[in-house]
Amino acid sequence: MLTAATFKTGFQRGLFTTWKLAKVIVPVYLMVTLLKYTPVMGLVAGFFEPLMHFFGLPGEASLVLVLGKVLNLYAALGAISSLELTGREITIIATMLLLSHNLPVESAVSAGTGVSAIWITVFRLGISVISGLLLNLML
Amino acid sequence: MDWMGYLHEALPGAGQNVLLMAAIVIPLMIVLEVARELKILDWAARRMSPLMGFSRLSPQAAFPLLVGIIFGIAYGAGVLIEEARSGRLDWKDIFLINIFLSVCHAVVEDTALFMAVGANGPVILLGRLIAAVLITWLISRTAWLERENLRHGAPGEVKSGGVNC
Repeated sequence: MLTAATFKTGFQRGLFTTWKLAKVIVPVYLMVTLLKYTPVMGLVAGFFEPLMHFFGLPGEASLVLVLGKVLNLYAALGAISSLELTGREITIIATMLLLSHNLPVESAVSAGTGVSAIWITVFRLGISVISGLLLNLML
Repeated sequence: MDWMGYLHEALPGAGQNVLLMAAIVIPLMIVLEVARELKILDWAARRMSPLMGFSRLSPQAAFPLLVGIIFGIAYGAGVLIEEARSGRLDWKDIFLINIFLSVCHAVVEDTALFMAVGANGPVILLGRLIAAVLITWLISRTAWLERENLRHGAPGEVKSGGVNC
């Protein structure tokens, strides 16, 4: 039954979730932005340019992908909002990450229900790469 | 290093990020809470259960699947563990649901957040859904899965991977 309490609970959940997201997004965003003002970003971008090219992405995107896979989506979002990427590039990155992010934690959760953590991770990385390659060809 | 330039960009930028997240997440949580209250998920799961046969799943798989798709892997796994313990799902169901969810979970929140930073919403949502359906269906048809299912024995005998349940 819908009451004012429902909305209040939803609102409070919203605030709590926003705080949870902000705790990750803001520090990552500040750090990635800082890197942009140092030679580091240029070095990373240059180094990963050949690999990222297969996915139609610029070198800096490697940072976003690593953050998303090792940490979580919010870290990736923090990095995306700091870099200048086109809509197409963000879409490709988004799809690749949505298929495989937060790998250390999520595979452990899956393992708790009886599925091998290693295989799930390999599986998700695999489809992530395939989706990036496919989208690069299709978009 | 250009500290002034950095602060000039980073500080307002950080604030904007937070406001953007809040503007998406707060209404979203309210909507989800309303849906939870109105038991919309239970209704949807009942409507969806006939579809489960498409990938050789039991009808009871619909509910944990929906929970995971909408709310995310942590919630989905929670419901899954409960259903598994009660014996309503066999090993094959759990495996296939895990496969599906690992590809496609928390779709509402994730899609909204990425659209906010510039991704193409329909593409990322459909991409995930199609990939999930396809992969789950493919795996459900393999002889390997049937063999493994038999090997894992009767419903209710879920072997935990050693992680907190």
